[in-house]
Amino acid sequence: MKKNAETLPQKRHMGMSTKGKISNTLIYILLVVIVIIWIIPFVFILLESFRCETQGMAGYVVPKQWGFDNYVRLLTQTDFLKWYGNTLLIAVVTAVLQTIIVLCMSYTLSRLRFKGRRFLMNFMLVLGMFPGFLTLIVLYKVLSGMGLTGPNAVPGLILVYCASSGMGYYVSKGYFDTIPKSLDEAARMDGATRFQVFRKVIMPLAKPIVIYTILSAFMAPWGDFIFARYIAHGSSAGYNVAVGLWSWTTKTSVGTQYTMFCAGGVLVALPITILFMILQRYYVEGVTGGAVKG
Amino acid sequence: MATVKLTNVKKVYDNNVVAVHDFNLDIADKEFVVFVGPSGCGKSTTLRMIAGLEEISDGTIEIDGEVVNDLQPKDRNIAMVFQNYALYPHLTVFENMAFSLRLKHVPQEEVYERVTKAAEILGITEYLLRKPRALSGGQRQRVAIGRAMVRDSKVFLMDEPLSNLDAKLRNAMRAEIILLRQKLDTTFIYVTHDQTEAMTLGDRIVIMKDGFIQQVGTPTEVFENPKNLFVAEFIGAPKMNIMEAQLLRKGPSDYCVVVNDAVMQIDINHCSRLEANNVQSGKITLGIRPEHVTICKEKAPNNMACRLEVNEMMGSELHLHVTDVNGDKLIVRTPTVDLTPEERAGFRNGAEIYITFHGKAMYFFDPETENSLID
Repeated sequence: MKKNAETLPQKRHMGMSTKGKISNTLIYILLVVIVIIWIIPFVFILLESFRCETQGMAGYVVPKQWGFDNYVRLLTQTDFLKWYGNTLLIAVVTAVLQTIIVLCMSYTLSRLRFKGRRFLMNFMLVLGMFPGFLTLIVLYKVLSGMGLTGPNAVPGLILVYCASSGMGYYVSKGYFDTIPKSLDEAARMDGATRFQVFRKVIMPLAKPIVIYTILSAFMAPWGDFIFARYIAHGSSAGYNVAVGLWSWTTKTSVGTQYTMFCAGGVLVALPITILFMILQRYYVEGVTGGAVKG
Repeated sequence: MATVKLTNVKKVYDNNVVAVHDFNLDIADKEFVVFVGPSGCGKSTTLRMIAGLEEISDGTIEIDGEVVNDLQPKDRNIAMVFQNYALYPHLTVFENMAFSLRLKHVPQEEVYERVTKAAEILGITEYLLRKPRALSGGQRQRVAIGRAMVRDSKVFLMDEPLSNLDAKLRNAMRAEIILLRQKLDTTFIYVTHDQTEAMTLGDRIVIMKDGFIQQVGTPTEVFENPKNLFVAEFIGAPKMNIMEAQLLRKGPSDYCVVVNDAVMQIDINHCSRLEANNVQSGKITLGIRPEHVTICKEKAPNNMACRLEVNEMMGSELHLHVTDVNGDKLIVRTPTVDLTPEERAGFRNGAEIYITFHGKAMYFFDPETENSLID
């Protein structure tokens, strides 16, 4: 074992000069190609959103006339702000509720022992393997019975997104499992209730996973299309941005609204990009988990 | 400051494993009680039941006369020090120690006063603003003790607090716990698997095995009068030598013991105790502590020949590992101070030496029940 550890770095160093350099170069070339392919659609959409000479598809990439016309039109002449507001409301409320539910659920499953715990965990894990929109029609029926479809789709969608959130316990439970139980016990001896333990000891230690949970809970409804489209079914007041923007890409409207669609796309991507850049550090830590020592 | 009373306490886990059987113990106010035993003997489980971290399957636990079975840990007013310290990593040392006071909304000045006072006693004042990860093991352990100290708790529980420390630090901290105990003057319950800690710290020691109490007594009592073979072997280091022997009753209160070919006299006190227990001649299990084995210069009727296998030089004494004619292994402790250079040279591996046992220090156990015959 010890001998290996001594000889290994040397070998690697030797390899670096010949084989290593070549394979490193190849890997970097491959990565650059992937990045270019990855980023092209975003660049196209960004360029398209600043195009002023036409409102449809131009057939070439770089705009001839640059300007903010599309953005102005988007914000003044359409329902875009309403959709944006809808989406933001849904995403924020869902993020808050879902985070609370998921964290409480995972903490409970990580710390408390009760009858049926293992069954519940496995059951939810298996259930989570089915795609959510299998329940689409049933959910529509239920929500329509409650009057939460069409123009009232916003509360309906919040309900849908939050309803099954407890099933997303897996990642955060794994994280909580890495926090030593004796911390809980010490805090309980110090006079804390179970909830105080959760709030004052576990939450500060679980920052990365809290942020990961908030981010993922925010992003899912922010970009959702399938549920949003069905539950709002043709009522513009209930649209979220994805459904709203999609409605401009139909045969009849794409000729006059394509550049505006792209401007909308840029505005949708903006908050998520900013959020991600700020919280990226925690996000990575949260996903990789387990790196915390009690 | 409180009494703790455990009555018929039992712990059965969900998988029907019984961790603690019928535990009865009265702990007096300000007493220092040590639970000691090998791992898995139920000592930590018992402590955790007192703390409220483990449910009690049967029986009652009373603190200051109040049954606490159904009380949450926070309502029992007990402080506890954990084996792995369990410090809150995100809080400074000060806030770690102040945590319980903050929960009780103690005024800021008082928090400051109590924490700094405890820190002073433990000598950790200069670390108060550090996070636990910037501290060494010994310092962390002090913080953990400090955190328990700042509360005016009725009972102070310690769950193997020293077992994560290295040997040197452990000795230092052991002395500090004795000092701390004098300063705090409260009821202590201390769990350890280390018999030295148990002997040096405890007013009374509770020796456990497989969920059963084997013996409760002062360090002197359990050392000098072990109730059974387990206690005899567990207390004392190196552990007591055990071998088979014949007990001969020559007359009323007149016994001697035959080990291999040696006939050894038994002290009059032990004889009368054997008599009182109505012990007859027969096979017994003999116990003798390594320090009570005497080396003889030449073969005599009262000593037996052994072959020296290993000679450990411990500094002030030698630990001689010897084997008798039956292949039983014994350890002999002999001080180096009185040995002549020739004698020392004689203790080479493979040499034959003659040993006899101190008549006052032999223990006799029933080979069947393993209970002491001179109890």
